[in-house]
Amino acid sequence: DTWRYAFEESLTDVQGEYAKEFKAYIEENSDHSLQLFPYGTLGESADIMEQAQAGILQFVDQSPGFTGALIPEAQVFFIPYLLPENHDELVSFFRNSKAINEDFVDVYAEKGLELLSMFPEGEVVITTKEPFETPDDLNGVKVRVMTNPLLVESYKAFGATPTPLPWGEVYGGLQTNIIQGQENPMFWVESAKMFEVTDVITFTGHNNFTTAVMANKPFFDGLSDDDQALIRDGMKAAFDHIVEYQRGLGERSLEKIKEQKPEIQVNRLTQAQRQPFRDAAQEVEAKFIEMTGERGQAILDQFKADLKAVQQ
Amino acid sequence: MSKLPSNSDTDYAVVYPSSSPGVLGWLDLWIGRVEAFMLGAGVLLMATNTVANVVGRFVFQHSLFFTEEVNRILIVLITFAGLSYAARHGRHIRMSALYDALPQSWRKVLMIIMCLVTALVMSALAYFSTRYILSIAGSGRVLPALQVPVYWIYIWVPIGLGVTAIQYAMTAWQNLLSDDIYLSTDVKEAHADTVEEASL
Amino acid sequence: MMAWMLGAMIVLLLLGFPMMIPLIVGAMIGFVFMFGGLDQMNFMIQQFMAGIRPASLIAVPMFILAADIMTRGQSADRLIAMVMSFIGHLKGGLAISTATACTLFGAVSGSTQATVVAVGSSLRPKMLKAGYKDNFVLALIVNASDIAFLIPPSIGMIIYGVVSNTSISELFIAGIGPGLLILVMFAAYSVFYAIRHKVPTEPKSSVKERLLAIKQAVWPLGFPVIIVGGIYGGVFSPTEAAAACVLYAVILEFVVFRSFPLASLFAIAKSTGLTTAVVFILVAAGAAFSWIISFAQIPQTLIASLGLADASPIMLMIAICVSFFIGCMFVDPIVVILILVPIFAPLVEAAGIDPVLVGVLITLQVAIGSATPPFGCDIFTAIAIFRRPYWEVIKGTPPFIVMLLVVAGLLIAFPSIALFLRDLAFAD
Ligand code: NA
Ligand code: NA
Repeated sequence: DTWRYAFEESLTDVQGEYAKEFKAYIEENSDHSLQLFPYGTLGESADIMEQAQAGILQFVDQSPGFTGALIPEAQVFFIPYLLPENHDELVSFFRNSKAINEDFVDVYAEKGLELLSMFPEGEVVITTKEPFETPDDLNGVKVRVMTNPLLVESYKAFGATPTPLPWGEVYGGLQTNIIQGQENPMFWVESAKMFEVTDVITFTGHNNFTTAVMANKPFFDGLSDDDQALIRDGMKAAFDHIVEYQRGLGERSLEKIKEQKPEIQVNRLTQAQRQPFRDAAQEVEAKFIEMTGERGQAILDQFKADLKAVQQ
Repeated sequence: MSKLPSNSDTDYAVVYPSSSPGVLGWLDLWIGRVEAFMLGAGVLLMATNTVANVVGRFVFQHSLFFTEEVNRILIVLITFAGLSYAARHGRHIRMSALYDALPQSWRKVLMIIMCLVTALVMSALAYFSTRYILSIAGSGRVLPALQVPVYWIYIWVPIGLGVTAIQYAMTAWQNLLSDDIYLSTDVKEAHADTVEEASL
Repeated sequence: MMAWMLGAMIVLLLLGFPMMIPLIVGAMIGFVFMFGGLDQMNFMIQQFMAGIRPASLIAVPMFILAADIMTRGQSADRLIAMVMSFIGHLKGGLAISTATACTLFGAVSGSTQATVVAVGSSLRPKMLKAGYKDNFVLALIVNASDIAFLIPPSIGMIIYGVVSNTSISELFIAGIGPGLLILVMFAAYSVFYAIRHKVPTEPKSSVKERLLAIKQAVWPLGFPVIIVGGIYGGVFSPTEAAAACVLYAVILEFVVFRSFPLASLFAIAKSTGLTTAVVFILVAAGAAFSWIISFAQIPQTLIASLGLADASPIMLMIAICVSFFIGCMFVDPIVVILILVPIFAPLVEAAGIDPVLVGVLITLQVAIGSATPPFGCDIFTAIAIFRRPYWEVIKGTPPFIVMLLVVAGLLIAFPSIALFLRDLAFAD
């Protein structure tokens, strides 16, 4: 059969790499073929999600940031300083977490989606025009964030003025100084040319951008056991590929940026400097519980338990 | 209903009284008024909303968190209230070069077919948009800032499409009854230019 | 499938159906082919909504409203009178001013539709009065507005830059040369036109007359300050600048000049709403049409059939131009970029062509395609705002398309038209 798979980035970004690897696996190991639909070719995030829920797309990659309106619990990924900063710990967490591999599967199933995989896309950095080290430095700085309520809370807690903007307007907004900063994983700072319109890249270690791949549930349930296994194996292969691809991706992107803009300033906040931001994260956690209630609390508790298990 | 200044834009009842008599005519008149009100109010609200956001940003150092979502609701309202309003006034864009070259009797037949097909397509879309709204309502999604259900944005879509379908069906009917060719219920073909002048 | 969609579209279009019908019926045929019926028509409605969703579209009704107020009042007349006092005595001077104003306004506002409205509605009556034929005037306005695609900030270039991983700053700088070249060609054509059609000139204004004209235009000069200063100065986004213009226009016309009573604002708003709706319903229907074409992977199939794998760089660039030109005739430019760029990117890389050059070429095709019938937002906007028949709006287009294609040819032959400034700015 021909299956359709839509995602939120272009073919050469992390989600595109993942999708290409999955496509290669499926087409090598079966008679099925996979058509890929990168960002914007079938609509925005919310559109492709509806298409996947209706079953005209079989697969969709949507980040929890956009799923927030549909699945509030998924915003747990936006609580700052929750995910491990170490790459191996992070990978191990995604592989073994009960919250991800069992609890979230049930949550997504309620919305007619079979959660197949969650994977990290890279450490989130903040790029700005002026350097900052403390929340006070961010006072009055307009930082563009995705249209997600919890992310807005985070940047309020960090002292900045969060400004939700569609990504098409970010480059122009930075250039004309309507916003003075934005956050994204390193590869995106490079590929979307954010470094051309900002001057400082700051590593705050507050998050790693996470995304999720899911299938339409009736479609998936209707497949033979062999096909289901094929898809699960394909997801594993793509996950392994992306973990390797990710290793050093941030550094490679940074190198490319330095080549094109040698004067770019790179700040890595020390643990001590990160502490005030870490403290601010408590507020965001409280907000998350307020927004998601008991179910959110349960997911968060499991999340923390899984993290502890990984970090031991 | 706001009072419209008499020296301004053409209005349904002012230049061409609605031709369907009785209760239907009355209903048609009021639908036309509601459309016009929605259209004008939609644009003014959008302007006020966007200006308020700018003022808020400069004077109070704070953007209004709901501006973008309110504008999203308004743009749908303007487009779909305007859809039927434009149908009523025969203002939809068409490529009429070939049509204009045809003899009167052909044009009349073609116009009737055109109105019927358009009415059919519009009513089909009205049906599908209702279905779409119901499916969205079922998903329980809300607008992040306003926290109102997403389907509220779309409420005017089936209404606009439905009223447009009725407009075109009525125009077909009018063309069947009368000797003249009607571009829309309010505009006769020969008068299209006069209306343009009148409304400027 | 494609043949049925296009066939139905063209027949319905030529018969004089409202333009939304050919687009919707074309898309419906696509749905029937893809899904074996109309069960999935929900997604046509979804794409209607997606089409009119972009926040940047809000600038369009706002600029229409501001322009509506300005042209019905005195601001526009005063501004034009000032310009005329300086260039009224030159052959083709008014046409050149119109082209320049379109380029500047479009470059800054980022919206070609808003440009058609704002510049067109104030300058078109003046040009007609001066003796230019309407089909020349309309074609000039629509095509000059589209130069804005090439001059920063350009949303088309931003999208191309992200999808193809090309420096957006370099693209921006590379667009300026060809953009100005087009403007110069349009200006030359305007002079030629004015001479050939014996468009009369006005007597040269005296210094005193000019000073008076400037004095009269002091208040309205706030508009360019708000738009150019506001956007380039980082004070406003284009949408906000549009809203600020509305506010300023209201203050000028209703308070300072007292052109008409505040009550007439509602009627003006209604007419703005009507113009907006007539264009946006086509944007919505166009989005649904693009979606089904994208879903069926028609562009991929067509381009694969061209067999471009070992084409020469020149052939490849020509193929790119033709593909984008045809795509933009029928589909919204942004969608065309999103779909086609990933298909061509590997070929471009293999052929070793500078991606910045390709980006400029593509943006140029987008500009041409947007002014080329049948589908073109700027054409629709011109029809809606000037109330001229479709045919009349596009009748004068061919000479402009020819000039634009010549520029495309020149770019392929002499890439330095685009790359000269880039190399100058980014020299190591
Ligand atoms: Na521009
Ligand atoms: Na076009």
